[in-house]
Amino acid sequence: MEILRGIGFQDVELRRRFDPFRATTKEAVARKFGVIGVNVYARKPN
Amino acid sequence: MAIACPIDLDTRKLHDEIQSIYARVAEDPTGDFHFHRGPDYAAQFLGYDRSALAALPRQSTASFAGVANPHLMGPIGKGAVVIDIGCGAGMDLLLAAKSVGPRGRAIGVDMTEAMAEKARSSALMAGLRNVEVRIGDAMSLPLEDASADIVISNGVLNLTPDKSVAYGEAFRILKPGGRFLYADIVVGAELSESIRRDVDLWTG
Repeated sequence: MEILRGIGFQDVELRRRFDPFRATTKEAVARKFGVIGVNVYARKPN
Repeated sequence: MAIACPIDLDTRKLHDEIQSIYARVAEDPTGDFHFHRGPDYAAQFLGYDRSALAALPRQSTASFAGVANPHLMGPIGKGAVVIDIGCGAGMDLLLAAKSVGPRGRAIGVDMTEAMAEKARSSALMAGLRNVEVRIGDAMSLPLEDASADIVISNGVLNLTPDKSVAYGEAFRILKPGGRFLYADIVVGAELSESIRRDVDLWTG
């Protein structure tokens, strides 16, 4: 998020979280490191 | 938290490994992978509309391996130019092409030829003439400055060794006021140097 703002994007916002590694062989690793899927919104200034 | 790439990570090996894995996904999405694929996963885990996915060619949805859902972040308007960075077999790209309609354009970029070819043939099968697929890398997009109204991406930019370059490319190709609808994974914990140097983990 900070990288996006640093580049110049505005209105940067994490909109929604997902759990794409649930029921995969990597689920335990994902849980250990807090890996989740996210929707991120950003807008280039006018 | 974005993951910073160690300066001595073998980025060529990372690039090659990513191409190899996603070429295998394109060829046989039912193979043994440590991530989910396909339309049932997309609907059940990520909130995609089952009926919209059922209307797409099966070959475009079977190889889908996204991690979130950029289509939930507001409408993609008619007539818009949409770029999909790392379009894969084209599921998100074709959904965007339907949203923008015949006066809009949906341009996918993927570095894996097998995926790009699936996306192209899926667009033909779906009768979508407003779709174009280019071979390219998120770190150096084959697109002109300020050419896009909307940039989408799903589960791809986390695979790039330098997020600031990839995000900068999205910024470059967007028109002023354009939207970046970015779906990806984030890590909630600090990773050790040994983990951040492990190409196998980067590709997962």
